[in-house]
Order: sequence, then structure tokens, then C-alpha cells
Amino acid sequence: MSSTTPQSNNTSSRKRKAPIAGNNHRPHKYARLNNARKISSQTSDKAFSEGNLNVDKFVKAREYEIKALEDGLRKSKAVLSQRAFQDVPKDLRRRTASHNVKWIPKRLRPRAAKEMVEDNTPTVTARRRKPSTHQRLRLETAKRLQKLSVKSKERRQEKKAQQSEAEVKVSVEGEEPKQASPALSVCKPRVKMATLKTAPIPKAKFKKRQIHKTWLPTHLWHSKRAHMTPPKEPLWRFALPLTPTAKCYRTTHRATTQRGAVAWDMSYMSTIGLDGPEKSIEGLLKALGVGADGDGSGAWGKSGLKWRQGTRTWEGWLHEREEWPAKRIAPATVIWNAKTQPEEDVLVAKGEDAPPNKSKENRKVSIRVHPAGFMQLWEQVIRLGKVQKPTVTVEDLRFEIGSIEISGPNAAEALVGILHPESLAKGGTDMGNLDGAHDIWHYLSNQSPSSLPPNILLAFEASDPRLRHPPRTIQSPADLDTQKRIRQICTTWPLDSNPRPATLFERSNRLKSQRSLPSQKSINRRKTLADPGQYPKSRPNDPKIPTLVFASRGNTATAGTWTILLPWKCIEPVWRSLMYYPLAIGGSVRFGGVREKRQIAFESGSAWFPGDFPGTKAGDEWELQEKVKRKAEWEKRPKGRRVEWDSLDLGMGRKGEIGTGWACDWQILGPKPTEADADVKEIFFESLPRSFAAQLVAGKSTESIHPPHALITVEITMITKGVPQTCARIYRLPTANIDLRAKWLAQVPTPASKRPSVKKAPTLRRPGADAPLAEHKGYAAALIMVATPSQVGSADYPPVPDEDDLIGFVTTGKFNLGEGKGSGIASLLLEKVVVPNTLVSGEDHTALKKEHTLCIVRDAGQSIGRLAKWELAL
Amino acid sequence: MVRIKHRYLLINILYPSKAPNFSTKDDIPDVIQFRAPTPDNFETGVLLRMIKEGVNELYGDYGLGMIAGSLKIIYLSAPTSTAIIRVSRDHYRLVWTALTMATRLPKPVDLPCVIQVVRTSGTIRKAEEEAIRRAKASIVRSKQSAQTNGSVGIDILRDFNLVGRYHQPSPAPNIRDGPTNHDSSESEVQID
Repeated sequence: MSSTTPQSNNTSSRKRKAPIAGNNHRPHKYARLNNARKISSQTSDKAFSEGNLNVDKFVKAREYEIKALEDGLRKSKAVLSQRAFQDVPKDLRRRTASHNVKWIPKRLRPRAAKEMVEDNTPTVTARRRKPSTHQRLRLETAKRLQKLSVKSKERRQEKKAQQSEAEVKVSVEGEEPKQASPALSVCKPRVKMATLKTAPIPKAKFKKRQIHKTWLPTHLWHSKRAHMTPPKEPLWRFALPLTPTAKCYRTTHRATTQRGAVAWDMSYMSTIGLDGPEKSIEGLLKALGVGADGDGSGAWGKSGLKWRQGTRTWEGWLHEREEWPAKRIAPATVIWNAKTQPEEDVLVAKGEDAPPNKSKENRKVSIRVHPAGFMQLWEQVIRLGKVQKPTVTVEDLRFEIGSIEISGPNAAEALVGILHPESLAKGGTDMGNLDGAHDIWHYLSNQSPSSLPPNILLAFEASDPRLRHPPRTIQSPADLDTQKRIRQICTTWPLDSNPRPATLFERSNRLKSQRSLPSQKSINRRKTLADPGQYPKSRPNDPKIPTLVFASRGNTATAGTWTILLPWKCIEPVWRSLMYYPLAIGGSVRFGGVREKRQIAFESGSAWFPGDFPGTKAGDEWELQEKVKRKAEWEKRPKGRRVEWDSLDLGMGRKGEIGTGWACDWQILGPKPTEADADVKEIFFESLPRSFAAQLVAGKSTESIHPPHALITVEITMITKGVPQTCARIYRLPTANIDLRAKWLAQVPTPASKRPSVKKAPTLRRPGADAPLAEHKGYAAALIMVATPSQVGSADYPPVPDEDDLIGFVTTGKFNLGEGKGSGIASLLLEKVVVPNTLVSGEDHTALKKEHTLCIVRDAGQSIGRLAKWELAL
Repeated sequence: MVRIKHRYLLINILYPSKAPNFSTKDDIPDVIQFRAPTPDNFETGVLLRMIKEGVNELYGDYGLGMIAGSLKIIYLSAPTSTAIIRVSRDHYRLVWTALTMATRLPKPVDLPCVIQVVRTSGTIRKAEEEAIRRAKASIVRSKQSAQTNGSVGIDILRDFNLVGRYHQPSPAPNIRDGPTNHDSSESEVQID
């Protein structure tokens, strides 16, 4: 209870000055604390006056004690050293709130102010904080640069003034000055086709930081709230948010499956524009493997009609030229722009009997692809475009079109809440007529991609979301009439019968919208002029942001995703509105990084490109990158604390990890190098399309496996316990050692073995010869009863199979919040898991077929294998 | 941040032989005699000295050194013969043994006794809650035994056998709704 020494008051080096003598709160505080923690007690003399011990007094003494203790509990809780800012909900806490009461919610401010005085915490504002050494250096440099720039500006202005003076003189001497054209017509810029675009030139201030990478349009927003890629290691040549700074693993899971929404700025996705006659584009896309797995009825048949009309999207894998099913590049979304409709015939859209001049009209297609596969695809597309007759012009739209993805149960609500179609913004909609996307847009607020027709596409022009900032929660339609209308829309989908071209495909529209975005300053001015509680009125020259929205269904009901494509510079205002949209269920839209994207894919049991697709160029590069990281992590640890791969005991006299411990070592899956050929060639693996692989796996396809060394992507589900980790080794059931196979099969839990064995089974005793028949029967049944699976760690737990039975590696593995247990995404070598043809022809092989999908998963560096089941992943 | 971790021992002082210094009539129930009040001259200093001497006797200077820094009496109530003792988490067993081995309260009191550690907990709060629970239980029990004319009931034996952290089932249903009786560990009660 000693107060701080007053001598140190004058020493300026102390960070916190000792409290002023008159205003000394600290001793008071400790006295209060001490007081509150004291528990009162009686004396025995008082409790038992006259030394009498009887029941009454005994009870009285206890009652006093109870009261004293309860009082003590309450008092000590009241003075618990909880600061005011600790009462703020976790996700609203700010670090600065502990230095400045201004950052604390108003309700808690007086208490916080009092506490700050008591604790002698100085109030700190960023403006008045003394800059650190490093900061000071930067500030000084900035000041110097500012001075220089001011000087040079002055010089430039002087020069300009001199020039204009000279010009005026000339014009006065000569004829009349030319009249400026009244309307500045936008000069149509010549766009170089088939060349790679460079990123937009950043502001001088940020130029140096973007030398080897590009920033997302929302970089400044993200860099304050997320862990970004390290400066020297950009991902796919972008500075990307990896994961939000706040812990969010579980909340992301909840927001995407139960309530809320998660959004990503996906502007790093690459877009390629194609322009040419429909036949040529069709040839190009077919060569890339679009619709190759269907037998005529797919993308190019009747069911693909809506897609080609431009009212639906197509999502799937693209391959290298004419290489299907090999040489996969990346999953992509292909969107056709609808034809411009002549005024007179609306019927044309429905039938195939288009007038002849129609076919000559150029169509536009955009391909949206992951940047990891962009360069590979770009080369293919360029070459294919030239081959077509007539040729297809190819344009790189990478930094012209950006995108935002949003998924979760309330995703549509947030989108509808912030994007307002222009015609809607101008006036009310005509209820009877629902032919444009802008008419049905606001009916979609309660829908999810899986409740709507598959792969829908909506194109409209949205107003500037900054004019309606902060966004307000929209009212969900409640009346029966609207409900009925929504049902009608979902079933008939009126957009299909009336395809309209999307303005986003036109370069001039994109540029116009970007250039006409008003400055924040002018928007603020308009907001101040607006009536209180009203949004500013729209003006005729407000930007119309060309927007393309499409929905993609996931493989579970909630895994659907909405994607909005916007001009690059319009991403930022839309993103800022999206992040502040108050959802009807409470809270706002969360944001995610690359890791969250991967997490969502993993939890819905689908593979994530490129990480889960070894056997594609992008996937192999990813693995190479990860391998280096894992190796560095391993090497960082001291020797005693890292896994010694060589001394790993795999049982049955086998020692050492198979392949490199920190990698998914695909090369060891190939044929063993013999002594003869010393120079081992690197094997290239091929990732196979799912539909194609499914036929091969089932043994339905009679052709031999093509290509060799094919990999299939599978989902691993643990049968017993265990959580597979990345790089875990996967074995099939032992093929050579029959005993071991039987042992592993005994590990499959049967309904009998699942029952918890509370009591030990009584020892079996053979019934006597004169025992009743039932007893004999029971004995026989007990003899053949399935043995309970042996426990991990016990002596009879089966060791893992041999290296010959190694079939693949886990590429993503962890605890799956969706499943409630461990699961993984893995790739397997197809040759080793195909059902032999001989089996397929036989009739009763159901048991064998079941065994065929069983596998054994062993984490790298561990000797224990665990039983799992695999099935083809999406 | 490093946190100094403690254990809080809740102890009861029991008088199995004879109630000390208090005039007792013969019809006083055994429950009450057993848990008779301690004389007032048993103060925190006396308890501390007793523990230190006990530890010193059993473990020598080493033991004393280990506990001396952290030993503190948080609560001592003579009329109910209850105390809460704080000791560092690593060495609380030294104190526990010293308390168990004690057979007499030291000089100014000088009475034969048994000291029972009824609960060890990591927080004062839990020790206090347990003390409240036990006080409530003992009120009920003393009233019951007064009605049954002070025969040595099974309650005492049960109470005596309660060791360490095991909770005792509350004998009467009416105090079950007390704030501290919701512990899940109630099912773990062992009476052997």
C-alpha cells in the first residue's frame, strides 16, 4: 500500500509521470481494494456469549459466516479490476481505446475517464504522439520532399503563365481564336488486342510499393484489417489479404453456413475478352474443352442454349488445345454477351431460326479464370484465336474488370441492399413487366444461389453506392402477393426469354463509368445539401456502373456464391458500402482472405484451385512453393524438437519416412528407378476431370487409362478417429500381405463393435453335452462374433502397408467444422485405385467394391495409420 | 504476463474429544460438539505459526522456505472453526501434510484437535463458495440431529470421511437450490 515516490516527478524520462500530490488516487484505490477483499468474522465470545454452546447459537454463528462470505464474494467482484474498455464486445475493441476515451462507446465513457485518472493513464492522440526515431526520419524526408515539390510547382506555373501570355499575344495579332467544340466527345481509343495489359499506374505515393506486384482496388482498406502477403512474396503477382487480423476461423464457418455473409475482393481473378463471330468463338471454346464431357446435350446442345444466349453462365475446367481430358489449365467461368435485339422481332430469341444476317454479327465472350492459370490459358487462347476462321480477337481485361464474391445465407440481401439498378433508382418499377434484370433484382433479397435456377446471370447498371452511404437495411418482402411473385420469378426466370446485352462488355461503358465517378468531396457536398435523413437526389450525369451478377451453386445447400463483376475502379466504392451494410439479422458482412476462401471450399468438401490440384501446372507450382515454406519451418526448429524423418519406425522392420517428409512427394509414386537407368526422369502427373475419372474408377470405361500417371482429386473421410494433416500419406489396403489386409479390414467398425463395451464379456465356456440347444447356439454365435477393433497404440494394432501400396497424399487436411471431425482433400494415383476389369464383370463383388474405396491415412512423420474412405471430390 | 499461481485450502478444525472451554450440557448433539467453536485467542498469527512449525518439523528448512513466501491466512473464523489458507500452487501439499499431522492447537489455545482440509481450489471464490455450502449443510444437520436428540447419526461419519475436493451430497433437498450446489461434480461423491 505504498504510494509511488514523489521524487521522480521531475525526471522527464519517465513514461508516466507520477500523480500529482494533491490528486493522489492510487493509495485510495488500493485501500478500497483491500477493504473489499476482507471477509468479516465474529469472535467466539460474541457468538457464544457466556460460553454457552447450544444449537441455536451454533446455527447463528454459521448464518453469520454465510452472510459474511457471500458479502465478501459480492464486494470483491464489484471492485474486480475490469477496465471499461474490456466491457466492449470483442470485435469492437480497439487498441487505441485503452489510451483515449474517445474510442470507447459513449455509454462507458465516463467510467473509462474516471479509470484513466485513477490508473494515471495518459490520454494519447495520434496527432500529438511523439514520433519514434524511424517515424521522425520518414516525416523529415516527407517534409523535405514537400518543399521541393512546392518549389518545382511554382517554377512550372511561372513557365505556364509566360507561355499563355505569349499565346494571347499571337492570337490577338492573328485571326480569331478557334472555338472549342461544345460537347467533348470521347475519342474512341485504339485498343491493342492480344497484348498483355499492365496494371493501372498507381499514385506516385504508392508507386514504389507496387513494383513487382499489383494492389487490389481495396488494398488500403484491406491492409488495415488483414494480414497481407509479405512484401517480397506476392501471391500470383498481387498483394493479397491472406486472412483477417481478427481471429475468425469459426465465425467464418458460421457466417457462410448459418447466418451472415462473407465477402472477398476477387479483383485478382483474370478476365479474358473474346470478340468474333459465334462460330469462331464456339470453335475456340470447344478446343479448350468446354462441354467436352457431355455427349452433345451439354454446353453445345439444347441445354446450353440459354448459356449461349447470354442469360446463364458456364463453369468448368478449361484444357489445353484439343487435349481433353488431359492438360487441365484451371477452372473458369465463361459468359456470353447477349445479342443486341432488333426492335421489331422479340420472337427471334426463342427460336433458332435467326435471320441470316444475325450470324455475321460479332459476339462477345468473357472468360474469368484464376490468375494462377492465366498465363497458360492466355497463350492457348491467343493461338486458338488466330487459328479460327474468321479469327477471334482476344483482349486482356485483367485490370479493367474487377470482382467481388460473397457467400453465406444473407449474401443476396447485402447485395440487393447496396446495388441499386439505375432505372430503379430513377423511378418505381412497373409491377406487371419483369423483363429486365433491374426489375427483378430487388425480389432476390431472400434467395440463395441454390434456390434460383442454376448459373443465373443478371446484367444491369447500378447507381453510385456512395450516394446511398451508409446503406440501410432493406425490408424483406412480407406480403403474400410479393411472395407469390418471387416464387413465380424463381420458377419461370423471365430473363431467359429476353436476353439483353450487358453494358459491362463494352469498353466505352466501363471507361465512362469509371471517369464519371464523382470525387468523395463532391458526394459529401451533395449529402450535406440533402434533406436530413434523405439520400442526395440523383443527377443525370451520375455514373451508371455496369454490373454483372452471377450466382454459382456449391455442392451443399449453403455453399453457393454470388459474384459481381464491375469496372476496376468501381470496386472500391461498392466494397466500402458492402462492408457497412447492416444485415437484417444483425451484424454486418464479414470479409475473408485467401485462407478463408480455402476454408470454405474445404468445409463444403470441394477442392480449392490451385492448392488441391497437383497435376496441373498451377497446382504443381503451388506445391513447390508450399514445400519450400514447410521445409524452412522444419529447419527453423532446433534439432531436438523436429521430426527426424530417418528414424521414423513404420513397423515390421521398416524405417524412415517415405519420400521427403515436408512435401507431397509425387515423384515416389512413379515407377521405381532401376539400376540400369541412373538418370531418373521427372514424371509429369495429370489431373483428370471428375466425370472422366468417375467412369475410369468404376471400371466402366473399357479403354486403358489415358493419360498415364493420372491423378484424381478425392475427399477423405475418416472412418474411425483422427485428423489427417497436409502431406499425410495415403495407402490402399495391403495387396501383398493378406494377413495385414484382414487385420485392417477388422478395423472397420461394425454395428456390434460400435456399441460401447461396458462390461467385459464373460469368458466363453463350452456348454456341456446335455446343455439345451439354445446354449450351444449361443456359444457358436459367440465364437464367430466379430472381434472388436484393436485400439491405436495396442500391440495388435496393424502397421501401415508397404510403400507399393502408397496411392497418394493429402493436400488439405484439418478438422472440418462442417463435419465435426477431421477430413481432407487428397489426390490419388488413378492406376492404383482402379477396379480391375475382372471384378466388374463378376456378379457378387459388392464387398470388394466397398473395400476398394477404403484407404489408410498416415500423417507425415507418424507411424500410426488410420482407416478412411475416399470419394471423388467436386 | 506471468501470473503467480496459488492454491487456497479450506480447512475445518474439529474437536473429536471434547468441546473446548465451553460449558456444554449433555444433550448437545455430537454434530455440534464435534464442530465446536475455537477460543478467541486462536488468531491468524497462531495458525501461521502452527503451520510453519509443522512444515519445519516435517520438511525442515527446505519446506519452510518453499511455503513461507506465499503463506497467508485469507479468512479465519473462530466461532465456526473454519479458515482459508493461501499457499503457492507448487507446494500446497507441504502445508496440507502439516495440517493433517497436527494434533494440537499451539500454546495460547492448547487443545487437542483434528484439522481437515476440505477443499483445495485455485481461486478464493471457489473456496468461499464451498465454505458457504458446508455452513448451510451443517446448519441443516445440526437442526436435524437436535430433533433426533443428539444421537450420533450417519451424518457425522459421512462428514468425517469427506476428504479433499470431493463434494458432499446435500442431505436436505431444500438447500439444493443454493448458489453453489450446481456443481457437476456432485455425482462424483465417493463415500468409502
